[in-house]
Amino acid sequence: MLSIRRFEERVLELFSRGELFGTTHTSIGQEAGAVAVIDHLKHGDFIVSGHRCHGHYLAWTVDYAGLFGELMGRAGGVVGGRGGSQHLHAEGFYTNGVLGNMVPVAAGMAMAEKRRGEGAIGVLFLGDGAMGEGTVYETLNMLSLWQLPLLVVVENNCYAQTTPLDLHFAGSFSGRAKAFGVDTGEIESNDVRELHSHFESIVKKVRGTSAPHMEIVHTYRLCAHSKGDDFRPAEEIETWRRRDPLRIEAARLDEESRNEIERQVEEIIHEAEQRARARPPAGARTNRVMEAVR
Amino acid sequence: MPKMNMVQALNLAFHQEMEKDETVVVMGEDVGVNGGVFRVTDGLYNAFGKERVMDTPLAESGIVGTAIGMAIGGLKPVAEMQFSGFAYIGFPQIENNAARMRNRSRGQFTVPMVLRMPYGGGVRALEHHSESKETYWAHTAGIKTVIPSGPRNARALLVAAIRDPDPVIFYEPKHSYRAFKEEVPEAEEVMELGKAQVTHEGTDLTVVTWGSMYHQTRRVVEEYMEQTGVSVELIDLLTIAPMDYKTITASVRKTGRCVVVQEAQRTLGPASEIIALINDHALMYLEAPVKRVSMFDVTMPYFSREQMFMPTPKQIRRAMSETLDF
Repeated sequence: MLSIRRFEERVLELFSRGELFGTTHTSIGQEAGAVAVIDHLKHGDFIVSGHRCHGHYLAWTVDYAGLFGELMGRAGGVVGGRGGSQHLHAEGFYTNGVLGNMVPVAAGMAMAEKRRGEGAIGVLFLGDGAMGEGTVYETLNMLSLWQLPLLVVVENNCYAQTTPLDLHFAGSFSGRAKAFGVDTGEIESNDVRELHSHFESIVKKVRGTSAPHMEIVHTYRLCAHSKGDDFRPAEEIETWRRRDPLRIEAARLDEESRNEIERQVEEIIHEAEQRARARPPAGARTNRVMEAVR
Repeated sequence: MPKMNMVQALNLAFHQEMEKDETVVVMGEDVGVNGGVFRVTDGLYNAFGKERVMDTPLAESGIVGTAIGMAIGGLKPVAEMQFSGFAYIGFPQIENNAARMRNRSRGQFTVPMVLRMPYGGGVRALEHHSESKETYWAHTAGIKTVIPSGPRNARALLVAAIRDPDPVIFYEPKHSYRAFKEEVPEAEEVMELGKAQVTHEGTDLTVVTWGSMYHQTRRVVEEYMEQTGVSVELIDLLTIAPMDYKTITASVRKTGRCVVVQEAQRTLGPASEIIALINDHALMYLEAPVKRVSMFDVTMPYFSREQMFMPTPKQIRRAMSETLDF
């Protein structure tokens, strides 16, 4: 959790210094869900995420240098420095920034896994914003109809970009899943230990029954949607800062352990950034090819 | 050799390819128990079972998206859009995922899927059931767009499309589904994608066309040659993207004159690209401006008026005469 946090804080810093450009969406404040769910996955399982995917990617791969390199557009980036923040593809990991767009793709991958019969499952991370996309419901229908081993984790951070939940969401999250006969549950927590034990049985169930499940994690992002202005009420953000997942976990550790973990994480992030910086910019070879074509 | 119509030939391709490769999965609306509204998948459900011949909900975005995931996961889905006009609901999946997965993953994953869509007019149907929008698919890098013209090439191209590692839009001219029969060999036959076919060699004029327009054009060309003694080279494009500009431009360099016949609307139809490619590769060989015969830039009208909007033999003939007399 801490390394995801420090990674993303560094990313925002590099953006503000003009060293990174394009766009990015941090998961600061939502790290607990990513870590808690992904810790239960095995080699062979797969994860599909969206635009807010750094936490999921790092929890799955711990490839800090690759993600730094990708954001910097360098060779050695996750997809060679050509995809950017939200187009990451690695073994068992797929994202696309267009909200809801990867939902049926995740179902198809779960179908392929089910037929392979090796017990692998998929996890699809969505946000409350993506729940406005129609293809989500086409897919819930198919997931249930074909009983596909996909765990849909809806991270409700209460905002679709800048629009609050009460302006973009009708009914209830679990009600939507129930309508399709998909097992579902909800939890409001930023406590990684609580979430970890909560998801243990859910992941086990999806694996054992090869059937879909949709679980909603009510959480909050502590930073802006992207890098820009944040118009949310200051007192609301403050309330959630007190429930920062890092704060909850840190309270369980003594000062010495906290300092030691901070030191280790700082080293990991610093070293990863330096490794990414040492690589050349992506595309030198492509440029040569394009010159030849012209 | 048995004689077959296009529906039977496509059905043969499915039976043989599914027999040979158990990762091939057919999916779509009414394709299983029913056998497909045009009967292309008839009998596959009984032969291969519901796991491999899947009836889906009416959900084009879900069908295309699921097929993409299955393809990434190691299967070879062949999904049917019941009519090409329904594919627009699946457009985000084709554009954002199918076409981009190879590039986005830097070649780690490809999407070996086929999207079959009956397209085109002349069947007295209505707008979404009668359109020719191949430009939409040809415009997107990362997918191939194939349009067969007859039973034999339809069968051979479908096999190639299924085996291709990348997504292929297989645009089936439904006007030609049962219009005529051809001899189709029982033994496997595969045609390379991305290759046009010179179906009649000639020296005075090149005529390029594809899909169901091919047959109408061929009849005009044959009649014209017989009446005037002019020698026409006729090209059946077969693959819209990637376009076989070499075959087209080699022909135009020889004849110096060209007419393109498309069922699609005029603006930015494939003819526009063909003319641009001729400009790039054969401009100095031209004896006359390249002409195109096309549909008008309107939504496909209902049956009572569709024949007034689709390219007619008279228009094709006039374009050929004007190009030759220039």
